[in-house]
Amino acid sequence: MAGPAIEAVGLTKSFGPLVAVDGIDLALEPGRIYGVLGPNGSGKTTLIRLLTGLARPTSGHARVLGTEMPSRAALARIGYMTQSDGVYAELSVLENLRFFAALYGTTDAAALAHAVEIVDLGGREGTPAYQLSGGLRRRLSLACALVHLPAVIFLDEPTVGVDPTLRVQFWQHFHRLAEAGATLFVSSHVMDEADRCDDLLFMRAGRVLARGTSAELRARAGTTDLESAFLRFSDEAVA
Amino acid sequence: MNARRILAISRRIASQFRRDHRTMALLFVVPLVVTALLGWVIRDQERGDVRLGIVASPLVAERVGAALGAAPGIDYRIRADSVDAARALIRDGQLDIALVFPAGFLPGIGGTPQLSPTLPVVLTVITPGVDPAAEGTGLATLQRAVISVLDPNLPGLTRETVWGSPASDALDAFAPALIGFFGFFFVFLLTGISFLRERVGGTLERLLATPVTRPEIVVGYSLGFGIFAALQVAVITTFALMDVGVPALGPLPAFSIGLGIANAGSPLLAFLVVLLLAVGMVNLGIFVSTFARTELQVIQFVPVVIVPQTLLGGVIWPVDSLPSLLQPISRLLPLTYGVDGLREVMIKGADLGSAALRLDLGVLAGLAIAFAALAALTIRREVA
Repeated sequence: MAGPAIEAVGLTKSFGPLVAVDGIDLALEPGRIYGVLGPNGSGKTTLIRLLTGLARPTSGHARVLGTEMPSRAALARIGYMTQSDGVYAELSVLENLRFFAALYGTTDAAALAHAVEIVDLGGREGTPAYQLSGGLRRRLSLACALVHLPAVIFLDEPTVGVDPTLRVQFWQHFHRLAEAGATLFVSSHVMDEADRCDDLLFMRAGRVLARGTSAELRARAGTTDLESAFLRFSDEAVA
Repeated sequence: MNARRILAISRRIASQFRRDHRTMALLFVVPLVVTALLGWVIRDQERGDVRLGIVASPLVAERVGAALGAAPGIDYRIRADSVDAARALIRDGQLDIALVFPAGFLPGIGGTPQLSPTLPVVLTVITPGVDPAAEGTGLATLQRAVISVLDPNLPGLTRETVWGSPASDALDAFAPALIGFFGFFFVFLLTGISFLRERVGGTLERLLATPVTRPEIVVGYSLGFGIFAALQVAVITTFALMDVGVPALGPLPAFSIGLGIANAGSPLLAFLVVLLLAVGMVNLGIFVSTFARTELQVIQFVPVVIVPQTLLGGVIWPVDSLPSLLQPISRLLPLTYGVDGLREVMIKGADLGSAALRLDLGVLAGLAIAFAALAALTIRREVA
């Protein structure tokens, strides 16, 4: 594959005096799962919104699959699972999927069936979303981000409010997608999910503090767990 | 613009609505009930005869009272000795109007009912002063009676009309405005709230992360809500125009379904006017939802956007009779053109050859496009 799947050059976004994303440079190879870890308000969601072209950077550039964002052509190959469920409560599972598939330009019935299968919602295709439990709605939300078989997938805290069993299933899906060549960009503030990512980015106050695999980061910080490692990097940044 | 994406959005809105029975009832049942109720109230008002008292000498009262009491709509009750006595009778609710003859008034003696006074006189009329509209109607009835009694040789008036029929009533004039108002109000409220939910529920964020463009979203919404607005207007218009008599059955009195409003023009043209108005309001609803964070805040736009248009748009008072400072404001409001267009078609029977109707349609279309552009521009104003 030529070039990185996700690229950021001096990416900055400020809201008035608040700098939410502060000059981030990234070049992420395709086919891997990247975990963005950081406390609430560290700029994870804003970073995702900049990379997907939903927000305009104050300065700097974002490129996905080699295309400068925002780009509608690139959006057709990007999946985005928002932090809130972002599904239509009155519509059934299948209607929600069909709607997003139509917007992405997918008419393939097999792709819909596949999306239902991935998130294990078989047999509930006709159920209105408001009748689904929180966990099932989360699954539907994930399926809506996958209906068009995207090459790059942004997942904003995908496992919040999801029970442990389902969380394991989600991560199994993520790895399967990565093996099939997709690039996943997963934000989380739960450190124990980090070990499941191929590569980690520690974020704080709009900046990337450190990047590497879980083992690398722990070794560099000289700690045994990621949480302490994050705090160590965080202290260094302040000092 | 991609037709498939636009249709996906409008189809989605239609599916959402079909499931929402309460909202469907609001769209289709409520306007029918309100229209029927209004028709009933305006048409079948219990207007009894004017209960009249006279302040005059016994001689005058005997002559004039009997003649006035024989006139249509007048029920002569009693002679009062003084103005104070007459006022007391009105206060007690026994009289609607008291007619006061001056002391020197002498009805012409001789040929009855020739009662011409010999001198120009001014008669005083006393009314309760509570309900100007009803009292005005009573006064007009009395005036006709007084003229015919005092001088039957005065020429009478026969009325002919340029538009409409002499028999048409307040409802015939009000129905076009009412149809316009329903086509205007509900879609505004529904789009405003639907779009707000789209913003708050995170689905708009999702939509914008797909290849869909902002104009496609606005057009999809216009189409989706436009279909419901069209159906709603079709139902109300049909109800207003039809008049199906149902004969009395057992204890039930005979009644009719529909208002039987006279429509001089093409129902399709009337429909087109309301549709353009409704589409404009869909777009305005999307635009306005940008400035609301909760459903309650959308409702707050009703007194800001809806009520002034209802007051200034010619629904109740004609635009031409408004204070001159307010008239230019009226000319900026979509409802003004919607109501005027509907009156042009339904009362004056205007077709596309009419410059007035072409202006109404043109302005409505222009406003719809302008609101659509505003709506598309503000969709980008996202809450992070």
